[in-house]
Amino acid sequence: MHSPELLKGTLQTIVLKVLKDNGRMYGYEITQRVKELSDERIVLTEGALYPALHKLEAEGMLRTETEAIGKRVRKYYSLTPQGRSLVKERVNEFVEFIKTMGNVLQVNIG
Amino acid sequence: MKLTEEHIAYIIKDLNYRGIVADGIQDELIDHVCSAVEEELKKEKRFIDAYHTVLKRFGHTAGLRDTQKQVIQTENKKPKDMLKNYFTVALRNLRKQSFYSFINVAGLSIGLAICFIIVLFVRNELSYDTHFANGERIYRIKSDLKFGGNHYNMLYAPPVLAGTAAEEFPEVEAAIRFRTRGSYLVKRDIENIKEDHVVWADKDFFQVFSVPVIAGNPTTALVEPNSIAISKRTADKFFPGEEALGQTLILDNNMNMKITAVYETLPANTHFHFDILIAMAGLDEAKRLVWYSNNFQTYMLLHKDADPRQVEQKLTRLVIERAMPQIGEILGGEDFSIEKFEAAGNKMEYTLQPLLDIHTKSSLQGEFEPNFDIAYVYLFSAIALFILIIACINFMNLSTARSANRAKEVGIRKVMGSFRSHLVRQFLMESILLSLVSMMLAIGIAYLLLPLFNNLSSRQLFIPFSEPNFYLIILGATLVVGVLAGVYPSFFLSAFKPASVLKGNVALGMKSGFIRSSLVVFQFAVSILLVIGTLAVYRQLNYIQNKKLGFNKDQVLVIEDAYALGNNRMAFRDEVMRSGKMELSTMTGYLPVSGTWRNDNPWWVEGRDPGVQENMVSVQNWQVDYDYIKTLGMKVIEGRDFSLDFPSDSTAVILNEAAVRAFGFTNEVLGSRIATFGNFGDGEIDREHFEVLQVIGVVENFHFESLKQNVTPVIIYLSDQPRGPISFRFQSKNTREVIETVEAKWKELAPGQPFNYYFLDERFSSMYANETRLGKIIGIFSGLAIVVACLGLFALTAFTAEQRTKEIGIRKVLGASVSSIVLLLSKEFGKLIAIAFILASPVAWYGINWWLKDYTYKTEIGIGLFLFAGVAAFVVAWLTMSFQSFRAASSDPVKSLRSE
Repeated sequence: MHSPELLKGTLQTIVLKVLKDNGRMYGYEITQRVKELSDERIVLTEGALYPALHKLEAEGMLRTETEAIGKRVRKYYSLTPQGRSLVKERVNEFVEFIKTMGNVLQVNIG
Repeated sequence: MKLTEEHIAYIIKDLNYRGIVADGIQDELIDHVCSAVEEELKKEKRFIDAYHTVLKRFGHTAGLRDTQKQVIQTENKKPKDMLKNYFTVALRNLRKQSFYSFINVAGLSIGLAICFIIVLFVRNELSYDTHFANGERIYRIKSDLKFGGNHYNMLYAPPVLAGTAAEEFPEVEAAIRFRTRGSYLVKRDIENIKEDHVVWADKDFFQVFSVPVIAGNPTTALVEPNSIAISKRTADKFFPGEEALGQTLILDNNMNMKITAVYETLPANTHFHFDILIAMAGLDEAKRLVWYSNNFQTYMLLHKDADPRQVEQKLTRLVIERAMPQIGEILGGEDFSIEKFEAAGNKMEYTLQPLLDIHTKSSLQGEFEPNFDIAYVYLFSAIALFILIIACINFMNLSTARSANRAKEVGIRKVMGSFRSHLVRQFLMESILLSLVSMMLAIGIAYLLLPLFNNLSSRQLFIPFSEPNFYLIILGATLVVGVLAGVYPSFFLSAFKPASVLKGNVALGMKSGFIRSSLVVFQFAVSILLVIGTLAVYRQLNYIQNKKLGFNKDQVLVIEDAYALGNNRMAFRDEVMRSGKMELSTMTGYLPVSGTWRNDNPWWVEGRDPGVQENMVSVQNWQVDYDYIKTLGMKVIEGRDFSLDFPSDSTAVILNEAAVRAFGFTNEVLGSRIATFGNFGDGEIDREHFEVLQVIGVVENFHFESLKQNVTPVIIYLSDQPRGPISFRFQSKNTREVIETVEAKWKELAPGQPFNYYFLDERFSSMYANETRLGKIIGIFSGLAIVVACLGLFALTAFTAEQRTKEIGIRKVLGASVSSIVLLLSKEFGKLIAIAFILASPVAWYGINWWLKDYTYKTEIGIGLFLFAGVAAFVVAWLTMSFQSFRAASSDPVKSLRSE
């Protein structure tokens, strides 16, 4: 499992990219999807995920819709057009970062 | 595996119990937990184990709360939503506390409305004459003359001054003179109308004052004699729907005047409102090249960059080089020198007064209209501000007093992650909202009250709804007032420590009341101050009305413009006397109220040398007729009144006491003779011939100007040709009937002439119009200040009573009487009011003395007045409190004690 410290800066990028690839998702679904994609090596903590989601929503990157399932209410997140353009930017930024880190740490990154 | 309904219900309840309650995150976390539990259940776990595994992942209760806190904090960073939230909560709170909100809104809106009116008023006062294009370059001559023991601070300058200055001073671009000669009867053909705002003016009037001319040529309009310029208002009155230019108006039945210009009516905020300007060229008096007669109000337009002080220096030189030689000729002949003139305490000085200072700083003899002292502008502003502060204090006091009720709210909010800044903003929002509501109400109140205030202050103020700045200022003021009222409570409330508040340790409310008590003291100190001020003004007014004046101002009817009767003057007087309604009558313009005729000349005791300045006495010489003293009810204290039985009375004179003293008579007054220079009939002094009168009586001093001034020497003698208004003394209580009788005679003998009259006592009161106005305005202000302060007190008492319900219940059970409980509840505030009184008294005493220093004759302000104000404030406050106290004290203790 990767350390949460390393994940901190990438949380938003992960959330945005996952939402781009999967469209509409709810909070728990996002954690499951990320777990799946990372072979259980990345586990998003709820304590970080929800504030991040709300922040992105407040910034207008995400929109939400709620659905009632029996007694439970499910809140779905999806990208706004604005959020969609942000995804590419964030992913590119992260790739650049990895490259730079490769140079700094003197290792070859696949 | 799906969760059952019970399991979901359990999760919801459990999460709620763990403190997950915030809107927007609660549902989401429930769903998340449920989903995760479902996942865990797939591993064949029991529900409760699955649930706890999930919770552990969250970090149990602390982790859950932390998530919630972080989400809330992210949410709070959204300014729009946050503002909306503040707004909703504020509205909810205000509605829940509708009684206190009402008190606050009522107080604030009254305070704001007053402030609003006062700001309009002050703005208007400061805007006088600013509409003239060259306003800052226009100056008026002020003359400071001391002669023969008399001191004149006036606006009258010699006729030659303006012309000399315009010709010889390079600084002066133009100089003009005005000469007022009272009102004129004006007619187009038959019907005369009395016009008050008529003045003789020099031709450069339109050059100095940028008054827009609608018709005619401003540069040539006032050049020719017998030409006049009239205001649009006047043109519309005499020539409705016609072209006025080129037409003729007849003044005083004998002057045919051609209209050469029509100008825009002067705005209300001008220090004069002339409707008719008569060309100065037609006035002989204006052509005299004399320095010793001062009759002309003189204005100068200086060049740009000209230094007014240099002009003043040049004026001083003019006095030395031109005026003094002339005065020397009249006064002392060979013996005269400037040094001697000054050594005798005499003075002749002309200075400049800026146009823009006139309305707020000038109050001299010869003002065209009464001005408004800037000190009162400041005074009113201060009062308005005080009332607003009193209203803001209500808000502060009620908020902090009720803090106990809100302490729990603050505690919970803080626990939930609110920062102090959020709470401060929340509370400020409440006060701003309140001030917004109050502001809107205030504008409504001001709109309704403005006509009343205009009436009282004789101004034409209006709310500038059409100015965009107005709305900006209103908005700004709303914010300022909201913050002013809310800043203290919001910091006070938001400082609570959640732990102690939630444990119930902080028993706030009425106990932590030092600041609150001081604020109540401040409120009542200001109110008491205003009440004392009002009482003092009224007492002085009362004193003036009832002072022994040396004459009897009541029951005297004065018929103005008697000259319109022409040769029927005496016939009219006799006819009216024959009607039996009148007791006595006299025909003269010299009356003991200001604004009537005055005439000042040097006299000396016969036998003394008129060449020696010390022998000359400057006195008012009033020409009257036989019944003057009797008609006006003056008292002869030595000698006798004029009488038809003594033919020699044509050369007799009666002095007032001041004149006796000024001439230096000691015991041989009666029979003494006094003398003055003769004149050639056109005002030119004849040094060769003297006029001599013999003293036959002394009349008690009587006040003939405002009580602000001393009684100066007056000599009264018979006129060979009585002129001026006719005064009748009447007995009847039915004044309407008296007027009707006189008017009928007037119509008979002076057809087509306007009938104008006044009562002497009314004219007397109008000398104190400013004081009356001041009394009324301050009276209204102090009334409102007390109302606002009492509103606050009312709510505070209601709150205390509510807080102490249980205590009162127990006291009653143990046998306390209603009255003792009422006393208990009122005692606290009673003390505060006593302190307020002690603080207010010295300030009030100082203020009253400052105001009264202008009066030579003033009333005694004793301790009684102060005590009265203090007791009045106390009674009003006590009545306010007793309503609440009594209600609390008479409530049934069973009700207040049965539940805990």
